[in-house]
Amino acid sequence: MAEDKGKRDSIGMSLRGCQTNNGFVQNEDILEKELAPGSPPDSVVTIAGPAEPTLQGARPYAGMPKEVLFQFSHQARYRVPREVLFWLTVASVLVLTAATIAIIAVSPKCLDWWQAGPMYQIYPRSFKDSDQDGNGDLRGIQEKLDYITTLNIKTIWITSFYKSSLKDFRHGVEDFREIDPMFGTMEDFENLLAAIHDKGLKLIIDFIPNHTSDKHAWFQLSRNRTGKYTDYYIWHDCTHENGTTIPPNNWLSVYGNSSWHFDEVRNQCYFHQFLREQPDLNFYNLDVQEEIKEIIQFWLTKGVDGFSFDAVKFLLEAEHLRDETQVNKTQIPDTVTQYWELYHDFTTTQVGMHDIVRSFRQTMDEYSREPGRYRFMGTEAYGESTDRTMMYYGLPFIQEADFPFNKYFSELNTPSGNSVFEVITSWMENMPEGKWPNWMIGGPDSARLTSRFGEEYVNIMNMLVFTLPGTPITYYGEEIGMRNILATNLNESYDVNTLLSKSPMQWDNSSNAGFSEASHTWLPINSDYHTVNVDVQKTDSRSALKLYQELSLLHANELLLSRGWFCYLQNDSHSVVYTRELDGIDRVFLVVLNFGESTVVNLEEMISNIPRRMRIRLSTNSAYKGSEVDTDAILLDKGEGLILEYNRKNLLHHQTAFRDRCFVSNRACYSSVLNILHSLC
Amino acid sequence: MEETSLRNRREDERSVQSIQSKEPKTTSLQKEVGLLSGICIIVGTIIGSGIFISPKSVLSNTEAVGPCLIIWAACGVLATLGALCFAELGTMITKSGGEYPYLMEAFGPIPAYLFSWTSLFVIKPTSFAIICLSFSEYVCTPFYSGCKPPEVVVKCLAAAAILLITTVNSLSVRLGSYVQNVFTAAKLVIVAIIIISGLVLLAQGNTRNFENSFEGTQLSVGAISLAFYNGLWAYDGWNQLNYITEELRNPFRNLPLAIIIGIPLVTGCYILMNVAYFTVMTPTELLQSQAVAVTFGDRVLYPASWVVPLFVAFSTIGAANGTCFTAGRLVYVAGREGHMLKVLSYISVKRLTPAPAIIFYGIIATIYIIPGDINSLVNYFSFAAWLFYGLTILGLVVMRFTKKDLERPIKVPIFIPILVTLISVFLVVAPIVSQPALEYLYCVLFILSGLIFYFLFVHYKFGWAQKISRPVTMHLQMLMEVVPPEETPE
Repeated sequence: MAEDKGKRDSIGMSLRGCQTNNGFVQNEDILEKELAPGSPPDSVVTIAGPAEPTLQGARPYAGMPKEVLFQFSHQARYRVPREVLFWLTVASVLVLTAATIAIIAVSPKCLDWWQAGPMYQIYPRSFKDSDQDGNGDLRGIQEKLDYITTLNIKTIWITSFYKSSLKDFRHGVEDFREIDPMFGTMEDFENLLAAIHDKGLKLIIDFIPNHTSDKHAWFQLSRNRTGKYTDYYIWHDCTHENGTTIPPNNWLSVYGNSSWHFDEVRNQCYFHQFLREQPDLNFYNLDVQEEIKEIIQFWLTKGVDGFSFDAVKFLLEAEHLRDETQVNKTQIPDTVTQYWELYHDFTTTQVGMHDIVRSFRQTMDEYSREPGRYRFMGTEAYGESTDRTMMYYGLPFIQEADFPFNKYFSELNTPSGNSVFEVITSWMENMPEGKWPNWMIGGPDSARLTSRFGEEYVNIMNMLVFTLPGTPITYYGEEIGMRNILATNLNESYDVNTLLSKSPMQWDNSSNAGFSEASHTWLPINSDYHTVNVDVQKTDSRSALKLYQELSLLHANELLLSRGWFCYLQNDSHSVVYTRELDGIDRVFLVVLNFGESTVVNLEEMISNIPRRMRIRLSTNSAYKGSEVDTDAILLDKGEGLILEYNRKNLLHHQTAFRDRCFVSNRACYSSVLNILHSLC
Repeated sequence: MEETSLRNRREDERSVQSIQSKEPKTTSLQKEVGLLSGICIIVGTIIGSGIFISPKSVLSNTEAVGPCLIIWAACGVLATLGALCFAELGTMITKSGGEYPYLMEAFGPIPAYLFSWTSLFVIKPTSFAIICLSFSEYVCTPFYSGCKPPEVVVKCLAAAAILLITTVNSLSVRLGSYVQNVFTAAKLVIVAIIIISGLVLLAQGNTRNFENSFEGTQLSVGAISLAFYNGLWAYDGWNQLNYITEELRNPFRNLPLAIIIGIPLVTGCYILMNVAYFTVMTPTELLQSQAVAVTFGDRVLYPASWVVPLFVAFSTIGAANGTCFTAGRLVYVAGREGHMLKVLSYISVKRLTPAPAIIFYGIIATIYIIPGDINSLVNYFSFAAWLFYGLTILGLVVMRFTKKDLERPIKVPIFIPILVTLISVFLVVAPIVSQPALEYLYCVLFILSGLIFYFLFVHYKFGWAQKISRPVTMHLQMLMEVVPPEETPE
């Protein structure tokens, strides 16, 4: 091998020998001579040794050959800098690498996409109609993606769109792998998802594992006792005589009356937590758990970025079927028909329910490994106590939901500083350490804010959720201040009260508010659409929409809002005052919100050493933006809110007096020198 | 690899001898690069990180699997044609420095000077910097799941990579090409892993994405030409070997052979890798993946999916080393011709590397990573690269008539250079026409501004310039222990 090598080498040499004499070499020689006139012949030096006597007296010159060079280059004045420079380079490689490792080591975990920006919840039937049938659909949502990006939204949340026979399309799914024809086809869904991802947005969807529609194939097979499907639902023997059923126990459906229904085909009763068209799945059955897992995988494979799991507290019921306790013990048992008349100790949040929810998380984790593809999990815990809601955050070593949706603001019916404050603190104080809060003002199941509080509160509530720590969640229309429609002439039979907050999105002044070109829409358009619509507010600098955009921009750009400490200062029946601050940033945001009648807030009473005047960064009243206020007497109108900005070195969360009034999810500090976040504080 | 190590050992002995026993020895670049190393350099620099991270530029224009694969293949053919022209040039004029000596021979010093001016100050250092930055970003990203790594981290590591590569390459040619071989091997390993698992998946029947693979094809001329434009970029680097012709052993045989083997090899890899990706990803998923090979690894290789990012990082730094290796030679040749400071063409006495050229290149690249974003700069200057390719190949056609008597060991049919020239014209004009921007004008102005320096320092050679450059050269020589290259004493 080595010989072979040598042979080849020599061939190479001789070949080169043949062709060395081309124009370039000569050209070079000439240049060489011009550069170094008076130099000794420098073409080829074949005599050995740097200490060649004839060269002894030569002085160094540009272009000198190595024989001359070697006489001088070992001098200290060249050798030392040479060595120094070499080792300096080696050292800087090491230092730079070490610096990289050090910075990586002290970097706090960065915010994931579901933490980084607001979520936007869309009720698909009411967002935008693309096919003139009066019902919104998936292609309509796709048409409006540009609008959603102008809101600086990060995540789109589309509520249930599965194939369903129930008219409100929230619950009662006939096929978890199909899109309801009203909303479009699976291809429409795939296109929508691709378009959402193209814009750098994420999509989460609803999933209701608790029950199916009674038209679902599983139920049809189950009532015939077909194979493994026999126990897919909760069946029990019950007496059925002359059209009246004596149920196995006193359990009630959420909508009232017994939760057991007699099925003629199977001659047994089945259990339903909601409507009788919505039989509960039997989650003690492992086949059912496997089916649900496969459905989750089906949508994750499609590329969906996360789920909102609905009604999970109903997943399991006690197997012993004991009667639940009455709230009013003296009430005659036969007259107990309303859901709130019982304590639901045996039908909600049973032992093992969280294990099932955690198994959903594990399934989603398998799909979260790809970079940037973490799959979000939220749980809907409607009407739960705070303690029980917090259980969905999981335990220190067992991950569960990323967050349970915080619906407490949407349950408030009257605005007041104290009640708003209580919602904030009860969440922040009970939330497990290191977890991430979230805030929603409304949703499909509650009345719209404008109808609960009044129009004056649209801006202040948006300001509230964008300045609290955590993910703000906006229900479509909240950014322009849409209100409930009036409950007249609704030709939908299903629970009218829940429809009022689902009226079509108001896009512009044209007929049907730009929602649909059909002659008739599934719900009437709110009559205020001439003033409350996207098109009008887009151009009005004082509109709710403009403020919403400014708030979401501030939220996206200010570390103070996305990662900072939250310290509450004071609250009373009118106002709530809190700060957002971050180590390493010497600016502080001070948020003053007034939920009551006009009031005067004195900040100097709350914190010492604050400047006499502060700059208004944002105000619900756009006229004040950029001006200054006196901190000893800030006059606030009804529903007015201010984000004040001032410089401060000594941050509140370092002071003992405020220590237990400050919260942060992931501790981080900012270094302005390196423009990085670090955890050395 | 065995070949390399053998040669290395011998070289080791030689240099040890030359230092210790002070035996006479020519100070010039040694003929270090054999056929295998030559192929490694071609494959190693063409397959950068692009095919692993975003092989989507073609697909996004064709929107269907079938035409996408066809265009990848067609681009490979075009790149081979271009490289064949360079093979003729390389064997006709056996000088290192890529386009530079060919432009010199065909059109005289001014185009050659402008080429070296643009390449040395913008094209080569920025691409070196960009490759190091993307290497660094690639290494840091796993530590910042969910967000982008902070700039300071990326830049620190990129600077470390540049310094390390520069140091290695100025210490020893042997070490530089050894590094190159190791990383190219790593790259080929991961390419092989992806291709083989793709073929296995294909055999298992994952052909869903290949059914109706021509459905939804965009047939507009604009889309196809854009797809070609982007596809050809993936093959950029096919002329790398021409930068080191002088160091090739037996260039008449090895240069064309390396090209003929190397580029079709790359083409095959590209097509099969695309096929592999399509076995587990739909076109939409591929377009939206942030790092396609990593997505592939997660879906196919789990729980060993960590190998993909690791090897892609190797591959990227290998590409960086490759550009450093070749571009250093351009500085060296330009310095030798007097188009740059003479000292840049000098060779380290003890190490026999073009150390000043490589250090110069490293310094320029380090400067480029300091400001905010150089991606846009690179994008606008990319048209200049095709301008010079086109000019060079036009030079080939011209020399067929002006220099009939030059020996041409390889002679390609005349229609090939003409075709490639036309394609280059298209590739220069297409982006300017489709998206005219003032920046292109600035690029042209920058290129032409080289003329000022040319006339001041090269053409007229003002005395005061000499007065400054001479002592600088002398001191640098002694500092770095470098001397002008000597002729082989045979």
